[in-house]
Amino acid sequence: MGIDASFVDGLRSALGQQHVITEPEQLRVYECDGLTGHRALPQLVALPGTTEEVQTVVRACYGARVPFVARGAGTGLSGGATPMAGGAVISLTRMNQILEIDLESGRIVVQPGVANLDVTRAVAADGYFYAPDPSSQQVCTIGGNVAENSGGAHCLKHGFTVHHVTGATLVLPEGDTVELGGKALDPDGMDLLGVVVGSEGTLGIVTEVTLRILRVPETVRTLLAGFETTDAAGAAVSGIVSTGILPSAIEMMDRLTIEAAERSTAPGYPAGAGAVLLVELDGVAAQVEEDAAEVERICLEFGAFELRVAADEVARALLWKGRKSAFAAMGRIATDYYVQDGVVPRTKLPEVLRRIEELSEEYGLRVGNVFHAGDGNLHPLVLYDSGQGETERARELAEAILEACLEAGGSLTGEHGVGMDKACSMPRMFSERDLAVFTRLRDAFDPEGLCNPGKVVPTPRLCGEVPGPYRAHALERIGVAERL
Amino acid sequence: MRSRGSALPSVSSLEEAAAVLQAANNEGRGLRIGRDVTTDGLDRVLEHEAGDLTCTVESGLRLSALNAALALEGQRLSLDPPGDPTIGALLSENVSGPLRHRFGAPRDLVLGVTLVLADGTIASAGGKVVKNVAGYDLSRLVCGSRGRLALIARASFRLHPLPQSQRTLVVATDDAAETVAVLFGSRLEPSALDVLHPGRVAVRFEGSETAVDAQVATAQALVAGNEGDEEIWAESRRRQQEARRTTRFAPGELRDILERLPEAVVRPSAGVAYTATGIQPTSSEPQSPPSAEALHRLEERILRAFDPKGTLRE
Ligand SMILES: Cc1cc2nc3c(=O)[nH]c(=O)nc-3n(C[C@H](O)[C@H](O)[C@H](O)COP(=O)(O)OP(=O)(O)OC[C@H]3O[C@@H](n4cnc5c(N)ncnc54)[C@H](O)[C@@H]3O)c2cc1C
Repeated sequence: MGIDASFVDGLRSALGQQHVITEPEQLRVYECDGLTGHRALPQLVALPGTTEEVQTVVRACYGARVPFVARGAGTGLSGGATPMAGGAVISLTRMNQILEIDLESGRIVVQPGVANLDVTRAVAADGYFYAPDPSSQQVCTIGGNVAENSGGAHCLKHGFTVHHVTGATLVLPEGDTVELGGKALDPDGMDLLGVVVGSEGTLGIVTEVTLRILRVPETVRTLLAGFETTDAAGAAVSGIVSTGILPSAIEMMDRLTIEAAERSTAPGYPAGAGAVLLVELDGVAAQVEEDAAEVERICLEFGAFELRVAADEVARALLWKGRKSAFAAMGRIATDYYVQDGVVPRTKLPEVLRRIEELSEEYGLRVGNVFHAGDGNLHPLVLYDSGQGETERARELAEAILEACLEAGGSLTGEHGVGMDKACSMPRMFSERDLAVFTRLRDAFDPEGLCNPGKVVPTPRLCGEVPGPYRAHALERIGVAERL
Repeated sequence: MRSRGSALPSVSSLEEAAAVLQAANNEGRGLRIGRDVTTDGLDRVLEHEAGDLTCTVESGLRLSALNAALALEGQRLSLDPPGDPTIGALLSENVSGPLRHRFGAPRDLVLGVTLVLADGTIASAGGKVVKNVAGYDLSRLVCGSRGRLALIARASFRLHPLPQSQRTLVVATDDAAETVAVLFGSRLEPSALDVLHPGRVAVRFEGSETAVDAQVATAQALVAGNEGDEEIWAESRRRQQEARRTTRFAPGELRDILERLPEAVVRPSAGVAYTATGIQPTSSEPQSPPSAEALHRLEERILRAFDPKGTLRE
């Protein structure tokens, strides 16, 4: 059992010598994903080129009881693709072909290693696009997007990955292959596709994906508004949404992130702004124009002191420049930063932002906020200096921010996933019974527990015996006093 | 526990639901949710956060009652299936209506659920915020499960504002596939688009008054057609409900499907055709036999994981 010489030989003869890596030097590339604090050296990396080859690798792992993890571009931020020491990594990067473009159906069939942006590139000339647009879209893969149910700035109107995947081929943890969905929507029976999307690579390996592609909208308008405070900007967000307008994106940056952006890419945002709001509208021209006028009015009503409007690509890109560079820009003002990913009900934004400010003072660490304001998905950036021994304090502050999100009825994660990073925090959002049901589902897919173990659901080995303080689930608190 | 005229046990709390399921489970008795036990007593709107465009409700509530409550705040759950299902039935059948075109099926709008498993376990998944990827999405998994995985006791949904204005265009045509192709190729954003085969295509536009008028004008310039009203959507839903058979197809194969079916209500963007007649159109999406078998085994395993004794029946 385990990875021995015959295991390696078997895979080499099936996949080709060069597609099975065992050299420690080369393995190091795979020891972590975007969450670089967690590292483990796998014993082997396999690079299959077809669904059948994935099956071969999975069957070999199953036979020898070797834990394995799928890997796309490794941009995940929750340690989802972190390998198990001594386990196998199944890299899907060779499976990067677009298999079929079916414009009449509004579908595209791709292999999992295709980069997100390449999907849009493949259909752009025909006037179509793929809607989910994570900031990492140049490199992150569709397989990773499916596993994480990735979002992006434009998900407010267009939905998340789960709303755009209509079919998938999945190699189950024991090696069988199932086809879920297809080009048609809503197949009979329980929604397996809906639970596989977002399952963080723990229910099997996706080897083919059918996606919905949309017509490029007739009109796009982008507005940038400068406010004195995040409170005022937050109130404008509520104002916009409550009139019934559904922008494709509403993004917010606070003073610290604006400052960082100015130092790095100098987008020239309104001077002295305590917050900027970026609102993008898309759709039929008549509606977009009317809504844009209304958004302008609302921003002014809530105290915007400067407004800029972009109607063409060049002007749009300029307005987005600061937002897009926000994360990277943090490097200009801090040695290290940790990106938190929490969700609050949109109406609780101002309250939670104030709480984050208090926490920042309490812990003596700066926190920048750049986030998807329209759906309440916060990305507080905790700035620290590991050289000054601030790492632990930063981690605690990030935890305290999550606590504030949960307190407000929100979620542990809006798009980066639970992975390894937040598995031990799950008991703060879900009861032991909720988690036990998650485990029942996972065991039905993966009875031997070989497929990406240690992620998503906390285990005693990982987190110790004592689960964190549990609070009633958001759904339960509503009608409470009913928990058995 | 309340018993209504029909003497069906109707649960009105999570505890009651758990007790009823657990008893049947212990006694080895099969139970059909909605038939042997109903959730009629679980009919409260627990929360409607208008500012967040979300709500949390109990599963025995009827869709019409929910939408009446939401309308007071100018909002709706954008689902218009035939009939007036309870929220529990809506999810467990994953049934949608013409608005499927733009807003999706129940699985696209559900945010979280509280379930009661056959052994009485009460468990929640998802949440009540519009964006959330923590844990397995059991709220989607139960969609389409037809009451066999668990009793759905509560659910949270994403809502939409009621449109200020809406208009319907009906295009009489003997080439519906062409009409649909022209509309799909345009940049119009209809809320609903059905083919009432043979002979008519119905399109609905929603939004501000000027924008709706502009869309109708553009659509008419492209495909002609006349002003229609609610009647055509009522017909569409009625035919969907009476249908004996559902055929799925790649949306691009609409023409072939229409040629094969003498009559149908077709929702082209979803690739679904509802037909009254029981003819056997060849499915355009055949599964390879090994994959179909593996899928069946997987579904059985999930059912057994949630309900080891097979207490919950369809
Ligand atoms: C700068 C930056 C910006 C980002 N911005 C966003 C953003 O805006 N929105 C957002 O949602 N995320 C964002 N992310 C996070 C990340 O890019 C996404 O989670 C992305 O989907 C990961 O894709 P990947 O190919 O890198 O996957 P990986 O990191 O390689 O893997 C992620 C998870 O997917 C699993 N997986 C990968 N391929 C498969 C497969 N074929 N089958 C089954 N499981 C598989 C892995 O096991 C792992 O659990 C950002 C990351 C960075 C570094």
